[in-house]
Amino acid sequence: METIVVSLNDRIDAFNAPQLREVFEGLLSAGHVNFIVDLRDVKFLDSAGMAALVTLLKRARQSSGDVNLTWPTLEVSQRILKLTKFDRVFTIKNNIADFNVTVSKTVTFPQ
Amino acid sequence: MLSDKLRIAVVTTFPPGTGSLNEYGFHFVNALRQKFDDVSEVLLYVDALPDGEAYPPFEPDSGIPTTIIPCWEFDALNNATRILKTARQTKPDMVLFNLQFATFGGKKISASLGLLTPALLQMWNIPTVVLLHNIMETVDLKSAGYAGNGIVERVLRCFGYIATKLLLRAELVALTIPKYVEILESKYKADNIVLAPHGSFDDTVHQPVFELPEGPMQIMTFGKFGTYKTVEPLIEAFEKLQRRPNADLELVIAGSDSPNAKGYLAGVAEQYKHVSNIRFTGYVAEEDVPIIFGEAAAVVFPYTSTTGSSGVLHQAGDYGKAVILPNIGDFAEVITEEGYTGEFFEPEDVDSLATAIANVIDNPDHRRAIGQQNFLASHGIPIAEIVDWYLLHMQTLLMQKPNRNGPPTVDRTQLA
Repeated sequence: METIVVSLNDRIDAFNAPQLREVFEGLLSAGHVNFIVDLRDVKFLDSAGMAALVTLLKRARQSSGDVNLTWPTLEVSQRILKLTKFDRVFTIKNNIADFNVTVSKTVTFPQ
Repeated sequence: MLSDKLRIAVVTTFPPGTGSLNEYGFHFVNALRQKFDDVSEVLLYVDALPDGEAYPPFEPDSGIPTTIIPCWEFDALNNATRILKTARQTKPDMVLFNLQFATFGGKKISASLGLLTPALLQMWNIPTVVLLHNIMETVDLKSAGYAGNGIVERVLRCFGYIATKLLLRAELVALTIPKYVEILESKYKADNIVLAPHGSFDDTVHQPVFELPEGPMQIMTFGKFGTYKTVEPLIEAFEKLQRRPNADLELVIAGSDSPNAKGYLAGVAEQYKHVSNIRFTGYVAEEDVPIIFGEAAAVVFPYTSTTGSSGVLHQAGDYGKAVILPNIGDFAEVITEEGYTGEFFEPEDVDSLATAIANVIDNPDHRRAIGQQNFLASHGIPIAEIVDWYLLHMQTLLMQKPNRNGPPTVDRTQLA
């Protein structure tokens, strides 16, 4: 099963979440449905960033795909995942290798 | 064949009902009714309208089939059992409560008894999710008009603690502000509390319009007044601003009395009848809300206390409005955490309020910058997406528990 890794870095918040959504939309439109969003290097994640991830999850599952996450390294970035309890909805692991999947492509955001 | 779509009941106030949170209920339900992939039917458990008035039915093609069931009344003592009876008869997969502490009554007993409803439904194995717009821990009960003295306040805090414990019997309790989640998690050691942001009501506006209409510059306040939202300092600040040279201003007091302060606005109108250019709109119908906000140069929050994330603040953000906010407790921290900004004033300090308003209306660039940031904060997440958050949590919850009526109604391979 082909999996795309979207590697996020820097802050993901209300100011750049719309651009992240565009990246996700482009990948979905290209037919990709299985994703690992790599959050390890995210400096900060707010609810707007979380919403972009949830929308990706919903869209991917509607196409019989899925979205998995890696845990952010920084506690401040883990906070929103725990507050929203989406750590119970997404499968989250420490490293991409833990998912044991074949990665077909890696996209970095912001580039 | 198992159904993969949910029948969801929503306990809420709803227009033309005028109870608190009716507008949130309206937007939430309208968004829910568009979730054709996840929901098969919506049941609205609403409060009965006065004088036996009927709720207008939904247009047949406007969304998922929706049945309006008036099954409770503001200040009635038997709301919990009436809602339970309705739920047992209509058998939804999940009941969502759109609540604040005074949803079911302005009197302490009726309000408290109503808050038992989620726990009662849980006892009957009817899964519930509670959206709680405020938490007792951050409400100044005296300023909010609920406690006249220290003893009453302590008693209410005790009731509040018990009510919150009971609300936490729900499968999930959703709060709109990160800090509130942390406060309740820490105090009640609960692990069923989630953050679900308020969400933007208007996802059709792409960019706010910063230009103002011809005529006097409108300073607007919006809400239900008379308890912790009082307009006297605002009117006095407005008087000061009107005395400035070339002042061409109008004060728009949009909304009605709080259920706990009947006759308040009529009294204020009488007291300040000598002040010109004040417009009392009365209750603002849904279709007039965009006009009221759209024409305002600034939206003022004349609060002496806060009871949670302000729905009015989110509306002001939807329309890209500059806001003038009280410097109370952690309100600034809370709204900043949500991405909003504004000019701050000291509560009940007329000079401070007049200065804050002047800072906004005298500086178009500043007004626009505040409005733009609030617009971005508000439009971070449309309410339609917040509804998806609830649906994802509900589906996850229902996966984990056997259905009360037999086999699961959720296809476990289809979670979104």
